[in-house]
Amino acid sequence: MGRFIARRLGLGLLTIFVTTIAVTLLIHIVPGDPVRIMYAQSQGTTDADIAAIRHRLGLDRGVFVQYGLFVGRLAQGDLGRTVRGDQPVLPLILDRLPNTLLLAAAAMVIALVLGIGAGFVSAWREGSLVDTGLMTTAIGGVAIPQFWLGLMLMLVFGVRLAWLPVGGTGLPNLVLPALTLGLGNAAIVARMCRAAMLDTMRQEFARAARARGLPKFLVMTRHVLRPGLVPVATMMGMQFAYMMGGAIVVENIFSWNGIGRLAISAIFERDYPLIQGFILVFATSVVVVSLLIDLLQLALDPRLRRQ
Amino acid sequence: MALKSSVLAVGVMAGVLSFGLARSAVAKNEIVWARYGDIDTLDPQRATSTLSLQVWSLIYDTLLATDAEGRPVPNLAKSYEMSPDGLHYTFHLHAGVKCADGSALGADDVKYTIERAFDPAHPSVTKASWGPITTVDVLDPLTVRLDLAHPFVALPAFLADSFSSIICKSNAGHADFGTMTAIGSGPWRFVSWTKGDRIVLERNPRYRNFGKLAENKGPPYMQRLVITVVPEPEARLAALRTGAADIAEPPLEDVADLRKSRQLDIVIARNTGQDVFFEFAAHKPPFNDERARKAVAYATDPQAAISLIYGNLSEREWCPIARGVFGNDEAFCEKHGYPYDPAKARALLAQMGYGPDHPLEVTFIGWTGGERDKLMQIFQAQLAEVGVKADIQIMDIGSMNARVRQENESPKTRGSFDMMTWSWFDPDILYALWHSPGAYRGYTSPALDKMLDETRVLTDPAARLEKVHEVIAYLMEHAIDVGLYTPGWEWVFAVRPQVTGFHVAPFVYPIFNDVRIH
Amino acid sequence: MSAAVEIVAAPPREAPWIARLLRAPGGAIGAALILLLLFSALFGDALVPYSPTRMAAGRPLLAPSLAHLFGTDEFGRDEFSRVLAGARLTLMVGLVAVGLSFSAGLIVAMLAVLARGWRGAAVMRLMDVLFSFTDTLIALACVAVLGASLQNAVLAVGIAAIPFYARTAHAAALVERGKPYCEAAAVAGAGPLRLALRHLLPNIMPVMIVVATMGVSTAILATAALSFLGLGAQPPMPEWGLMLAGARSYMERAPWLMLFPGLAIALTVLGFNLLGDALRDAIDPGRRGR
Repeated sequence: MGRFIARRLGLGLLTIFVTTIAVTLLIHIVPGDPVRIMYAQSQGTTDADIAAIRHRLGLDRGVFVQYGLFVGRLAQGDLGRTVRGDQPVLPLILDRLPNTLLLAAAAMVIALVLGIGAGFVSAWREGSLVDTGLMTTAIGGVAIPQFWLGLMLMLVFGVRLAWLPVGGTGLPNLVLPALTLGLGNAAIVARMCRAAMLDTMRQEFARAARARGLPKFLVMTRHVLRPGLVPVATMMGMQFAYMMGGAIVVENIFSWNGIGRLAISAIFERDYPLIQGFILVFATSVVVVSLLIDLLQLALDPRLRRQ
Repeated sequence: MALKSSVLAVGVMAGVLSFGLARSAVAKNEIVWARYGDIDTLDPQRATSTLSLQVWSLIYDTLLATDAEGRPVPNLAKSYEMSPDGLHYTFHLHAGVKCADGSALGADDVKYTIERAFDPAHPSVTKASWGPITTVDVLDPLTVRLDLAHPFVALPAFLADSFSSIICKSNAGHADFGTMTAIGSGPWRFVSWTKGDRIVLERNPRYRNFGKLAENKGPPYMQRLVITVVPEPEARLAALRTGAADIAEPPLEDVADLRKSRQLDIVIARNTGQDVFFEFAAHKPPFNDERARKAVAYATDPQAAISLIYGNLSEREWCPIARGVFGNDEAFCEKHGYPYDPAKARALLAQMGYGPDHPLEVTFIGWTGGERDKLMQIFQAQLAEVGVKADIQIMDIGSMNARVRQENESPKTRGSFDMMTWSWFDPDILYALWHSPGAYRGYTSPALDKMLDETRVLTDPAARLEKVHEVIAYLMEHAIDVGLYTPGWEWVFAVRPQVTGFHVAPFVYPIFNDVRIH
Repeated sequence: MSAAVEIVAAPPREAPWIARLLRAPGGAIGAALILLLLFSALFGDALVPYSPTRMAAGRPLLAPSLAHLFGTDEFGRDEFSRVLAGARLTLMVGLVAVGLSFSAGLIVAMLAVLARGWRGAAVMRLMDVLFSFTDTLIALACVAVLGASLQNAVLAVGIAAIPFYARTAHAAALVERGKPYCEAAAVAGAGPLRLALRHLLPNIMPVMIVVATMGVSTAILATAALSFLGLGAQPPMPEWGLMLAGARSYMERAPWLMLFPGLAIALTVLGFNLLGDALRDAIDPGRRGR
């Protein structure tokens, strides 16, 4: 178990290290000069002003020096200031990070509850019309683009029925984006769950239980459900990472005030300090959350601990 | 069934949560204004977006203000004089004006603001618009004199705009000025800014209105003003309908229906100063050739395009400076302009060797939002008719400004032109754009420079007007700056019928001082 | 999974895989959807009633009718013509992006297997790191650097998926590499290059083709999402994601503009997914019935 934790921790730290290098390089390979963009709307700045600002930001130094400067500032929690509006980058991102995590977590709950539920019913009623219906829906659910599902939900529940707000941040505002993000993943979870449960049901102990005359439903809840959830559980860390990625798109559909919306506007505005900060914070949160999920599993599942 | 159960879940949640939505039924003392985007900063010297300017105009005050026609009038300064040589301006401030933190506002604050704008380590992004100010002298606590290196007649117009917001010197002690702190003497006091979400303002009980376009001479009637960010037009409309917002920009496509149904009042800003125009990368082929520029102007039909996209909400603007700005004259500009004439465009292109078999391929750059992408697609289709293949590239305004300059500075790349947007309160914008080296390092000429220099120093309005017209004629005859339409962004407001007293001052500054909600 | 590949090669008297593929309902539907896409992509421009970029083909925002099967958009462009024209773009997007990530991933995996030792491990650790970034982040970073255009979006999506293909190919290749026939070939003096080309590559191909088939749908979805956000295709391209983005403002007045491009994406993705599923079952009979 110690080795497992060490390996996961090592990979996490390596990821963050590679990210810091990547974001430092990023500003070098982009076309156009970020400082020029910063002052493009100001008619009064001379080339001397620009040079002075570049010097202040350390952009006239070599790559290694810049990396050093970057890491040095990072250690003090300073990710620079935005091109647009001259705002400190890190608080700007951290203010919104909880919103993104909340959205991803809510979507995860929806995906797990609906997915496991549907997977269970489908496995229980294997081969029935219900099973076929559920699995067809799931196959369809995987194919539906998230941004399209989001628009359709918005059209039906936000605009036509006007039950739910379609933009902004708040609890009622969370429902539609979380559903949009969760439903597609529920379909994946359902298929995975069903396959795992059917597998387990074919195993000796489950057959034996059935042979003893226990009703199928009881066998499933007592013996099959838990092992059936193992593949779902091991996928959770990755699932969460994909929720975070999906959140970027969904936030932009529903104007959810998270880091995804911030990131897309930063890309449009070519606000490189903000883009750098976003990549760093995003990668770090994905690493940390997946690590936490893995550790949590380890704590919950004794079999994993023995390995 | 997975779908069915999710539908059920939505229904249940909607029922539970609808309590939260119906909160605005009680008599309220708060105005909610929903906009598509957020401010960049609370620091008036660090950004240029309309979204930011509108909020600064609520928190800060200016030495001068504008009348309904956009002309500068006294405000914080009860009067001012310009020396006969145009090199000294003296401002006399009203006594007893207080900043939101209770400190007195006087000549020191003016000095602090201007010197901050010229700080060599961190200059204002609009430094050049202050003009050639060399020193700021505090003559007494309420009198301040600005010394200029040479005459600059556009200064009063600038001092009436929120770019020149007077920043109370007590801000100097706050490291988080612009982010968490903003002390001004405007009608509203800054309370909080949740970035990307909302700005909360409270009425400034000490406020006195000297020159702003409001009947109310004291502090605003309402207690709070909340400015929220709702990017989706449909969502803003829904917010207006449910009462979650009182004032918002509606989806432009729905304005006609809204007007007809009288569900909401529509307020349209006049004299916005906003001009949308074509300009060209004139340092490289094909647009270093005047004929190519004229071909684009003849081939496009702005009136048809804006009618399709904006209905009657926007107007054809022939001039390089918009209605409401000194020197604008539609008849004069139309005379020098380019009516829609695809035959002429084809002829010009044929002269240059382009035709249906050999189309002219160029890049067409524009600014995101405000349905401008749709307008560009119409122009693209019209250009295709005469054999110009224009690839659209849409970007944020900051990137676009940098890109257009880059286009001018890289003569080897493919030809390009762009649909540029500027809002300014004085014809001095033409100096900023077209005097050597030019804001975008674009077209400049010594003859044009000479005329532009004079527009800055002629203190007699009639003489200046004549010179401004000369400049306009030059820009249009050479198809350098081809006016398309005005206004261009954030100029339509839908207002709930319960709201009275809301109006919009020139250059799209909404005024909330007179607002009451019944 | 690769054990099953051996079984396919061995001769238990089963129908050929292609027949099995089409006999499965999912496989048949998937193949039909892909054929439809292929047909639209190849002959779409000959069939469409209007040019997909022609404005005022009808009045703006017309509802679907016989004259305009899918209605018209805000410029009066024929939506049916645009959706059909989008098929070619979408197919190209999927194939180019997957082609890129597939071949790059395969090369990386082969190098890692052959290099063995710390170099191979280092390469794969780097792939692990990139993989944990998630493809969305990599694609966004690429677009931030390259700028918004359809080509760049495809490139970004292609690059973003390299770690996935590399890891899949690497895992499969490691299994093959450990098998007796590979060891035997190595002992018999087969060089690393020969080992890779003659033994590893052919044996991991079936698995990789299944993965790539499903990957096409992932690539199509990702690129459409970028276009939807404004970071991919630029107007007036009849790209489905971009069309959906434009249709948003007319949600209330012209909902059909949102229906058809979305349906087109969903059916295309469904087609590749079903085909991939069926292909896996056909190649790997042991997995059938799950």
